[in-house]
Amino acid sequence: MIQINMRIPAAVVLLFLSFLSSAMAGSAVDVEAPWVREAPPASTVLAAYMVVKNTSDTVHTITRIDSPDFRDARIHRTVVEDGVAKMLLVEQLQLPVNGSITLEPGGLHLMLYDPQRPLRDGDSVTLVIHDSDGGSITVTAPVVRKTGGHDHSHHH
Amino acid sequence: MSTPHASSISGYILKGVIIIILATVAGILSARFFLHSSVVEDELAATRFPVAREVKPFALVDHDNAVFDNAALEQHWSFLFFGYTYCPDVCPTTLSVLNSIAQRLQDVDADIRFVMVTVDPERDTPERLAEFVTYFNGDFLGVTGTDQGLEQLTRQLGILYERVQPEPGSEAYLMDHTAAVFLFDPDGRYHAVFSPPLSVETIAGDFRKMLQDYQ
Repeated sequence: MIQINMRIPAAVVLLFLSFLSSAMAGSAVDVEAPWVREAPPASTVLAAYMVVKNTSDTVHTITRIDSPDFRDARIHRTVVEDGVAKMLLVEQLQLPVNGSITLEPGGLHLMLYDPQRPLRDGDSVTLVIHDSDGGSITVTAPVVRKTGGHDHSHHH
Repeated sequence: MSTPHASSISGYILKGVIIIILATVAGILSARFFLHSSVVEDELAATRFPVAREVKPFALVDHDNAVFDNAALEQHWSFLFFGYTYCPDVCPTTLSVLNSIAQRLQDVDADIRFVMVTVDPERDTPERLAEFVTYFNGDFLGVTGTDQGLEQLTRQLGILYERVQPEPGSEAYLMDHTAAVFLFDPDGRYHAVFSPPLSVETIAGDFRKMLQDYQ
């Protein structure tokens, strides 16, 4: 399966992906402003952030977000309890009716383990968001350098 | 005969009670005044000690393999953060905040250093720390050491850290760690602490005030 995929020219894959995303345009779950924080060269763990929206009148549950660009991915929540920062594993994201959940620095985030290739500012990664009803949406997230200094501003 | 005597006793008691009430009221008022005035005087989001605290001896090593001990905190201001490099969210976010603070305080006439001390010395070698901290700012310093050296510093600052069991299917462990940023003055004393959530504006503003008071 992987071998077959590898032989398909990138343009065809892109065409397929764009078809996929347009086919999902009417989907209840939508993702806005996804981005991955560029990590220092030695890092093997990264974090992705995004706004996951539910545009329907029924509750939707995100059971998993994964990425073919990483060995593993898990949804975590950073909490500070009595001054101590902890990361908690989040089993699922329950999206309120016509509402959204925001993954942002210092809070909910997608922890990404072991990138398959070096990822630098300007690169992009694929994220697949899985709905409990079996559906999924695929989004492309830019890798963004954020060091608090003279960073480029790719997203708004 | 007994009546005037009794009335004078009750008069004394009455006077005594009035004096006690007045003294209590005066005490409460003055306490409120002084407490209130000390809060107004400080106006800091940071917790600053009335008298900066002496740091007991400790010995660690920086990312250039140089000794990082009490002397390394002297002659300049130091912001210390305690984190680790296998940390995808809190630590990069905090180092970004510290870098923003560094940019914002460039005009200040004081030598300011920014240091991340690892709470994960087992994985965070000096080389790994160097790559991690200098990614955010070339002047940032990473510090590691032995478990014992780390405890010498963290215990007296009340810093907590703990290795968390890896999640099922994952071999990499995470660390819980105190998220605050600690400030040391040029005497090498523990001067103040900034508790999360960490704000660039607040910390930079507080630092300017503390610098003024120190000079």
